[in-house]
Amino acid sequence: MEAYIIKAYRSAVGKAKKGSFKNFRSDDIAVKVIQHLMAQVPELDPNTIDDVIVGCANPEGEQGFQIGRQISMRALGIPVPGVTVNRYCASGLESISMAVAKIRSGMGHLFIAGGAESMSQIPMTGYKLAPNYDVANSTPNYLTGMGITAEAVAKKYGISREEADTFSVNSHQKAAKAIQDGKFIDEIVPIEVTDISVHQNKRVEYTTLMKVDEGVRPDTTLASLAALKPVFDTKGIITAGNASQTSDGAAFVLVASEEMVKLFNWQPIARMVSCSVGGVDPLYMGMGPCAAIPKALKSAGLSLSDIDLVELNEAFAAQALAVIKEGCLNPETVNVNGGAVALGHPLGCTGAKLTTQLLNELGRQNKKYGMVTACVGGGQGIAGIYEKL
Amino acid sequence: MGMTKRIRKAAVLGSGVMGSGIACHLANIGVEVLLLDIMPNNLTEDDKKSVKARNKIVDQALLAAIKSKPASLYDSSFAKRIKTGNFEDDFSKIADCDWIIEVVVERLDIKKEIFAKVDAFRRAGSLITSNTSGIPIHLMSEGRSEDFKKHFCGTHFFNPPRYLRLLEVIPTTDTLPDVVDFFLHYGDHYLGKTTVLCKDTPAFIGNRIGVFAMAKVFQLTSKYNLRIEEVDALTGPVIGRPKTGTFRLGDLVGHDTSGNVIRGLKANCAHDEQVSSFEVPPYLDFLLENKFLGNKSGQGFYKKTSEKDEKGKPVILALNLNTLTYEPSIKPDIPSLKAAKQMDDLARRIRHFFDASDNGASLIKESLISLFSYASNRIPEIADSFFRIDDAIRAGFAWEMGPFEYWDIIGLEKGVKLIGEAGEKVPSWVSEMVSLGFTSFYTKKEGKRFYYDPVSKAYQPIPGQDSLIILDNFRSQAPVHKTSETILHDIGEGVLCLEFTSPHNSIGEGVLRGIQESIQLAEDGGWKGLVIGNQATNFSVGANLMMIGMLAYQQDFDQLNMAVDAFQQTTMRCRYSAIPVVAATQGYVFGGGCEILMHCDASVVSAESYIGLVEAGIGLLPGGGGTKEYALRASDLFFEGDVQIPTLIEKFKAIALASVATSAHEGFKYGSLIKGRDEVVLNKDRAIAYAQQKVLQLARNYTQPIKREDITVLGRTGLAPLYLAANELKLGHFASEHDIKIAKKIAYVLCGGDLSGTQQVSEQYLLDVEREAFLSLCGEQKTQERIQYMLQNNKPLRN
Repeated sequence: MEAYIIKAYRSAVGKAKKGSFKNFRSDDIAVKVIQHLMAQVPELDPNTIDDVIVGCANPEGEQGFQIGRQISMRALGIPVPGVTVNRYCASGLESISMAVAKIRSGMGHLFIAGGAESMSQIPMTGYKLAPNYDVANSTPNYLTGMGITAEAVAKKYGISREEADTFSVNSHQKAAKAIQDGKFIDEIVPIEVTDISVHQNKRVEYTTLMKVDEGVRPDTTLASLAALKPVFDTKGIITAGNASQTSDGAAFVLVASEEMVKLFNWQPIARMVSCSVGGVDPLYMGMGPCAAIPKALKSAGLSLSDIDLVELNEAFAAQALAVIKEGCLNPETVNVNGGAVALGHPLGCTGAKLTTQLLNELGRQNKKYGMVTACVGGGQGIAGIYEKL
Repeated sequence: MGMTKRIRKAAVLGSGVMGSGIACHLANIGVEVLLLDIMPNNLTEDDKKSVKARNKIVDQALLAAIKSKPASLYDSSFAKRIKTGNFEDDFSKIADCDWIIEVVVERLDIKKEIFAKVDAFRRAGSLITSNTSGIPIHLMSEGRSEDFKKHFCGTHFFNPPRYLRLLEVIPTTDTLPDVVDFFLHYGDHYLGKTTVLCKDTPAFIGNRIGVFAMAKVFQLTSKYNLRIEEVDALTGPVIGRPKTGTFRLGDLVGHDTSGNVIRGLKANCAHDEQVSSFEVPPYLDFLLENKFLGNKSGQGFYKKTSEKDEKGKPVILALNLNTLTYEPSIKPDIPSLKAAKQMDDLARRIRHFFDASDNGASLIKESLISLFSYASNRIPEIADSFFRIDDAIRAGFAWEMGPFEYWDIIGLEKGVKLIGEAGEKVPSWVSEMVSLGFTSFYTKKEGKRFYYDPVSKAYQPIPGQDSLIILDNFRSQAPVHKTSETILHDIGEGVLCLEFTSPHNSIGEGVLRGIQESIQLAEDGGWKGLVIGNQATNFSVGANLMMIGMLAYQQDFDQLNMAVDAFQQTTMRCRYSAIPVVAATQGYVFGGGCEILMHCDASVVSAESYIGLVEAGIGLLPGGGGTKEYALRASDLFFEGDVQIPTLIEKFKAIALASVATSAHEGFKYGSLIKGRDEVVLNKDRAIAYAQQKVLQLARNYTQPIKREDITVLGRTGLAPLYLAANELKLGHFASEHDIKIAKKIAYVLCGGDLSGTQQVSEQYLLDVEREAFLSLCGEQKTQERIQYMLQNNKPLRN
């Protein structure tokens, strides 16, 4: 039985450690987004949701206690179960594909799927860095830090500092324009954030409405980026300015079976045609999309030229450029509203967030096929193809 | 007021290089500082409303001082003690300040204007001083209130204020004696300076004598037709002066400044018998006309080019004083200089130059003879006692000896004779000394130093030394014990002090034996405890590399194993003995020196101590218990529920990156020092006296520590993240292959080896792992190359 995306919403993306969500937990963001989504389908009894699938790249600390379950009870009710899924930066897309797969295989009718991540609260490597000794000793590249993998990709595929910086300036400009044009207004769930902090030794409580992505710097120029120093490699090109931003956010979609669509007489937004993952050398993690995209296309029976719009997660400008340069994507279709360099990359949320953005842009442009793709730490790629309905 | 008053808050008026530097040094010693300067005069209407714009001058100056190298602050966080403001908005805040220091431009009219304002806003009883180097102090307080005048004097710092050790205190006739006493005490104990009482005479003591010496060398360079590279080599470390010599020092100071001071002295000291020495030579005029002011304008006597020589070093050109053109610099080839360089003892080198006869020796000889005459004729004009001149020159110009100490090397009578032969003047008080049968300016007896006092015509003890322990003063006494590389002194109150005497206080067999035997002797002889300390420039540069290098080269692992084991057992003996052992340090506390410090019961560390386990730089790891100690200290920081890895990584980084603390305060950050155990002393001259007090304090209830068998090591759980970190450093080009090999060995020791998981081990087990790792690195060819390179070039090789 076919599965359909009925609704898709996301929070605005906060700047990690200094933005509006710095003290706002990702389970709280997720609850708000899901409740807002459910409010758009009042005909649907929350208790009938089969499962809540939550992508999360670092499910520990504030994101511990099996965050999927914590979110499902609070957002929907005790009877609704929840599960946490981790495929690092692909988690949010992976959870949607799992919902789709379950429906197609007859294992349920109604799923909330997406992801949530607070990079303000959980360190990127988790609280305890405790890799396997044998791996660290004999194949340490299996566990290379992300910045180093981007340097390796840049070197291997001949991406220059200037190319990466230029790409990043464009990302900021496109994102700034998209925000200015109000493109994200409908998909973002405004969230009231009450922050209690000490200012000049006084307890101060103030409430803001968080509804605009915080990472975009419209005044970014090639010159301002050129002034930054490489972070990971003394001889390298990766800087804080041409890498994705660390962020906080959550995004979820409602996936329903054909039967439910008929029952509620819903007008689905889209369907997921295919979703594939592939493995690459962990040192060249950034090339993951090139392993996943052909699989997803094949499984969908499509070719690259059929894909009208792509949301490619910009983990690093250099990595995104290398994926494009290798012919894995058509540059004109990629990230028309900017990408993670400007808009941020809340790890486990990203796949669902990009899905939300993609489906809305397909709608605005009235295009048929779109793709969300991302590289994944540990040497993987994911690509999900959607058909707008 | 009394001498015990503490300065809580100080205002520094003027934020130039000196003002900001003084502000930083006050912050170093815990004073809250208000730093003020003028408001920019071209502010727009919008700017005028902005505090940031109004404080732009002072904020930029302070930022430059904070970022300057070498660092102005002991710890960058101390910058929080400094608040900035401008003369328009914030002057009234000086009412809260206990001390107000003026450091504005050197113009009497401007200074007087500032002081009138200070007089209006200050609180009665607060101290006011000027940092002028040239303007007579009494002129600045003219027209001020009585209370102002009573609390006003000069306090002259040298640049950079953190590092140069001289503070001149210059009272006027109105200054209260209490105020003078206060600054003499405060300067010494809290600012950490050699604090010298001066008279209100031109350029006070330091610059009057120091600049005379410089100007005289300028003259003699022309007379003997020597090149500047030759003169710099002659007037550097070989005669006990900084390695900048004379001309390179001029480049460092800036020729505009030097020119002004020389001209100022010529104008203000017209009656000096050698005033003709204060001449700006034609080549200095050439530099000034062309604005070749030295390092700050990129060229002066020397000019660094972008070209590289065959060794990859930048080609440096030197000014030919005759042709006034820049030429490639030469390596001096002067027989007397070459011979002197073979001599270890400074006194021997000085005597050697007096016996030699080439142009180089003549320059040194004549410059010193002129200096003897000039300095001795300044008594009592600039100071009542000559030792103040020596104190000022040593501290302000970093000479190993002042004029009268050089003179004592030559011999009083011989000096007098040579002055006469040179046609210079011998003052009557010196002639009188000779006729009374005195043979030296200084003498030592019973652990004290005495100076000749022309008034009583007898030796008098140098004041202030009762609260100091000066090891040099013990040299005439029989030591308690001696080895080939150490001397054990009885420094009083039942406390012993072990002094290293090896070259650069490197640690070899003689030092290790000295430590072992001293502790044994103290235990057996009923001594209260032991201080390990010396008063050389550096506490210790580390283990004797020559010995390790030789054994490594010969691959004599049995000998190496024994040598490293002896080192480990010696540092362990510092910890496990029946008496307290306290280290007192200054300067470099590298490698083995740091390991000794960490194993003592406590330490008294001069603020200017540069501490680090630097072994990785020469291809090794700390093998005298240092790596073990970092594992132990990491373990002591672990707590229930702790994930432990971040602590382990911090310790790993400190050793693997061969981190050196650039002040004692940074030592606490890097983990070589521990709060509550180790203590910082501001004046390095007091470190040993404080360490003696520390021994007495610990001796009261001293019990030997229990041997540690409870050190938590993480085994493979810790090794894995450290190996990953090493891999990242390699991939990121932060480290070479060999660096990684060393880093992994360090990780191995810190984790107690490749144990399956977390467990508790003993110190001896860790020492064995450490020793084995050390030996294995000694077997590496690249390590041997590093050691050899360090021995030959005195800097690390990256291979």
